[in-house]
Amino acid sequence: MFFFRNYKSLILVALIFIFALIMLSYNVKYDKGEGFFRKIVLEAVAPFQSFSHFIVKSVDDSWERYVTLVGLVEKNKQLTKTIHELKAELLIYKEGYLEAKRLGTLLALRESLDYASVAARVIAKKQTALSKTIVIDKGSFDGLRTDMPVVAPPGLVGRLINVSWNVSKVLLITDENSNVDAILHRTRVQGIFSGAGLHEGKLKYITKNQDVIRGDTIISSGMGGVFPKGLLIGQVKNVEKHDKELFLKIDVTPFVDFSKLEEVLVLVSEEKEGKQK
Amino acid sequence: MMYYLLLPLLSLLVIALQTVLADIIFLGRLAIEISFIVVIYAGFRLDLAKGALLAFVFGFVLDCLTSPVIGLFTVIYILAFLCSFILSFILDIEKIHFIALFGFLCALIKEIFVIIFCNLVLNFDTVMNIPVICLPQAIIIGLLTPLFFYLMRRLEVFLWKTVSPY
Repeated sequence: MFFFRNYKSLILVALIFIFALIMLSYNVKYDKGEGFFRKIVLEAVAPFQSFSHFIVKSVDDSWERYVTLVGLVEKNKQLTKTIHELKAELLIYKEGYLEAKRLGTLLALRESLDYASVAARVIAKKQTALSKTIVIDKGSFDGLRTDMPVVAPPGLVGRLINVSWNVSKVLLITDENSNVDAILHRTRVQGIFSGAGLHEGKLKYITKNQDVIRGDTIISSGMGGVFPKGLLIGQVKNVEKHDKELFLKIDVTPFVDFSKLEEVLVLVSEEKEGKQK
Repeated sequence: MMYYLLLPLLSLLVIALQTVLADIIFLGRLAIEISFIVVIYAGFRLDLAKGALLAFVFGFVLDCLTSPVIGLFTVIYILAFLCSFILSFILDIEKIHFIALFGFLCALIKEIFVIIFCNLVLNFDTVMNIPVICLPQAIIIGLLTPLFFYLMRRLEVFLWKTVSPY
């Protein structure tokens, strides 16, 4: 009895250990995962596991959302970049389309004229109070000479006043120094079209007794040896008759929109047989 | 008496806590065996009967939850407790490095024992898990053991104004 009292703990531990070993060996052979205690423990721990699952799922979802958001930011950046690139590309295509359209009109005009012509691109515009000119990218190397007429759809633009080797300056018909011999298309009355400032002109020397109405078309008369006959100049915008003056005061709006000029044709000769560039 | 009544509940709480922590921190890939650290601590701080019973209960609850066969962790936990108990006569609890090393070695041996058991008895091919799971888990236990000892010591001081009378 004394032995058992002194070694009570030791015997208890030995019994526990032996019991554990028996339990282990028994379960190795017979356990099918359906033990009573296993069920009890599983039931008891289930709420905690459910809670942990909830926490893990929340953290996982938050993390996934964060990662997705980071991914979205990157994707957004990439897409924005792509949009910018596509917009730039689209702009190029639009420019090409508009240029093709303009050149098509220019070509139509070129075909309709009985003159050999050189197509040129407008590289500069100078439309100040004193001077209304444009600079084109063709010069004497392309066969251009001073006083050659310049046209653009649908009519007359001006004439060359300075011709260099590769560039030329064009005096627009709206310049105050520009005078074009013109006739009214409807009545064949002859006058002089002069520039009158920005995008405007005047038809001078038409006597008061002439029949001029608003909307009459003015074309070049072909006299003076600079501009060929029949080129569209403009349309009568306003007609005023003053008792004290000999001539009518006729305001004209040119057909050509000078603010949008990008390509022009320079008429180099009266015959179409010449080489067209 | 209260100790024996509360022991199963305590074991459930500790094991549930370690499952929750493992799920949150390692997404269930690694276990944080606080129960094993408790058993080691019991070897240093409790008497033989109480500690052995604690190891039995903790091992049994863990067996019910995670073990492929009931009794495996019970046996291992009792052995771990006995090792700690014997070592407590020669190793001072204040020597934190030895405690960490002991925790690490105990955990590593336990993991290897489980793998060998599974291989030999249950024919599970889990040898590849030694470097992937066993070693990290042993390191985790090795790191957590001194921390647990420190916290328990603080708790003892807080509860009894001195170190536990055990």
